[in-house]
Amino acid sequence: MPAAESLVWVAAVTIVIWAGVFVYCLGLDRRVRNLEDGE
Amino acid sequence: MTKKSVWKWVLGAWLLVVIWAAFFYAPSAKGFKGESARIVFFHVPQAWVAVLAFCVNLIASIRYMRGHDPLDDARAATAARLGLVFSVLATVTGSLFARVMWGSFWNWDPREVSIAILLLIYAAYFALREAVPDEERRASLSAAYAVLAFVTMPFLVFVVPRIYWSLHPDTIINVRGSLDMESRMFQVLMGSLVGFTGLFFWLYTLDVRLARVRLARRRREES
Repeated sequence: MPAAESLVWVAAVTIVIWAGVFVYCLGLDRRVRNLEDGE
Repeated sequence: MTKKSVWKWVLGAWLLVVIWAAFFYAPSAKGFKGESARIVFFHVPQAWVAVLAFCVNLIASIRYMRGHDPLDDARAATAARLGLVFSVLATVTGSLFARVMWGSFWNWDPREVSIAILLLIYAAYFALREAVPDEERRASLSAAYAVLAFVTMPFLVFVVPRIYWSLHPDTIINVRGSLDMESRMFQVLMGSLVGFTGLFFWLYTLDVRLARVRLARRRREES
């Protein structure tokens, strides 16, 4: 188990980036579904 | 949460676990500076998804040439767009690794040059699409170009880096055909490959669905 503090920061930033991408995809998914329902 | 959307949350959780495992489950790799080798858990799946996307681009382009369905053209464009994005991500993560290991972001290594050429080839695909205003002509030309572009891909990704001496670490399955990776690292890498593939198909499906709605709307306006 690496104890380097910097590793925790890199992991945290990576998780925040992934969370951002995930939320964006969920939003886009909802938008597409609304458009499909409107058709 | 509907039944249909469960897999999205599973994918979200899966990639969170992969990120955690990449930093805290996989051991440090020997022969690399600091923790730089951990980038492999993101860099390799990004490169894999780029190759996968270019394969999907080829299939959709061939389908377009056979059936002239505008949705196939949209599928091809979506796949190429995602392939380009993941190629850029693979290049950026590769450059970060290069900075730590070799002291410079760019070393004119055969792998760096071949991915740069591949990026230019697929960037030209979009330049071509922008340059042709007529939709049918644009789709036909893009499909033909995509087939030609794909021919270069295996050569640039798999052949060139193996012919020339390279700073790049050995691939996971090396030239001797054996697997050179600690088992926990291999598990995380496989998990990441699965997660990134899922992410690609999610993004791809979203964009194709959006294109389908746009096409239906345009057809309605035209009729």
